[in-house]
Amino acid sequence: MSVALAARADAVGVHASLASELETLATQLSLVTVRISSHGTRADGIGAGILWPLDGRLIVVTNAHVVPPSRGSGFLIESVTGRVANARVVARDREVDLALLALSEPPDEWPAPASIGDARSLRAGEIVVALGHPLGVGGALSVGVLHAVPNGDDVLVRADIRLAPGNSGGPLATLDGSVVGVNCMIAGGLGIAIPAHVADRFAHEVSSG
Amino acid sequence: MSPANASSSAGSRSALRALSDDLAAAVQRASRGIVAIHARPRIPASGIYWRDGIIVATSHTIRKEQDIAITLPNGSRAVAQLVGRDGGTDLAVLRFDATPPKDAMSVVERASADALRVGSVVLAVGRPGDDGVTTSLGVISALSDKWRTWSGGEIDRFVRLDLSVYDGFSGGALVDADGGVLGINCSALARGTPLTIPNATVDRVVDALLTRGHVARAYLGVAMQPARLTKSLADRLQLGDAPRGVLVIMVESDSPADRAGLLVGDVIVAAGGNSVTEPQDIAELLGAERVGATLQLSVVRGGERRTIDVTVGERAPAAEGRRRGGRGS
Repeated sequence: MSVALAARADAVGVHASLASELETLATQLSLVTVRISSHGTRADGIGAGILWPLDGRLIVVTNAHVVPPSRGSGFLIESVTGRVANARVVARDREVDLALLALSEPPDEWPAPASIGDARSLRAGEIVVALGHPLGVGGALSVGVLHAVPNGDDVLVRADIRLAPGNSGGPLATLDGSVVGVNCMIAGGLGIAIPAHVADRFAHEVSSG
Repeated sequence: MSPANASSSAGSRSALRALSDDLAAAVQRASRGIVAIHARPRIPASGIYWRDGIIVATSHTIRKEQDIAITLPNGSRAVAQLVGRDGGTDLAVLRFDATPPKDAMSVVERASADALRVGSVVLAVGRPGDDGVTTSLGVISALSDKWRTWSGGEIDRFVRLDLSVYDGFSGGALVDADGGVLGINCSALARGTPLTIPNATVDRVVDALLTRGHVARAYLGVAMQPARLTKSLADRLQLGDAPRGVLVIMVESDSPADRAGLLVGDVIVAAGGNSVTEPQDIAELLGAERVGATLQLSVVRGGERRTIDVTVGERAPAAEGRRRGGRGS
């Protein structure tokens, strides 16, 4: 272990420090993570979404499979502060499993959008976190490490992190809270996420087109 | 894109950040000695650069014996040949045709054996192909002493892991938080449970495979099952309160046991001066170093106790692949 960590251990105790830092990180991420549900089924949220920065507009990025056409195009978005807004699906791309929702009437005191990072600059073994609503549990934090550095531009991000249905559409983030991926599935025990730059490109393309 | 709302936790040197940096550095350090081995269909296997020119891998992931393509840590390719394999410990040794240059890769650095502790934070580092290293994080969940695998291999310590098993896990390295190697990972020795074969065992098997091409395996040539003797017989033969032993149910022709005169129906109650209650008790006396030594068996035959001296034999390596565990010794 590094000198920095050892020195810190003397001062406050490593565990106390880790726990409080993770708590701060969870709070920070919960502000940019929303719960998405169909009209009439708010009690059982069907997935997560990320408040995405896009030229000052209020949009939510999620997985296409979280907002399937079979559930219509209108959805309810609920922030961690309990504010609820109507949103409609602006674009869906089932191939990349991404969807963009626009809030129809942004309520007051809506949280600021996420800061976006780049998964390609991460290192294998680096700690990453995920926030979502696994199996309906709201705002749950998962901690893991990056499994492999994405090799190539549009390669999915693989993390050794415990996810569950309900994490779909939620953020995979680094320790500074930057979103580096949109969690989309579980494969071979690993959490799989769409790289943030791919989601960002998607958001810009569909909103300008 | 600029972080619009970078937070308080992004501060200078947090403990969490320090831990994350340590883990990433540990993976980076170990990755210089982890290769990808293209010796099976679909997913390549991981291997560890153990000594100059020598790679260690898990035997079950190596399906090819000659002209095996290896992806080096710097992304270049090299060719290696299988030197030998040991089904007992599921280890295989490969040798590069030409030792790769130092800037392409380096022999892994070892962690000290006392770094093996229950609860230690560890990383499993593999390289299942040309796309770089992969890792999963966890802890050592259980440790115990020397054990014998289902296929008869001796492993110096039992090291069970609590972490995710992924493609390329077997043949990769278990490293501590400093990146020092604790052993080679294997998921094929205990029904998919992630285990690590410690450095000492790997060294022993590598030495044996490099010098003899196989690992010596001591054997007697009998199949056995636990048996209980009647109290009256036990009393007469003074076998104590728990009169148990192992019943010989098969004797291999021309085996050490056959030559010593052991018969089907004999009940072995002691071996080498120790009491015997199950076949494993005898298996544990058959380390490779016992080949050629005399093992004194105390057996009950026809209601009488007698002593039989068996000269421990060496199992021919060719037969090893066909032996599927079981209770033979």
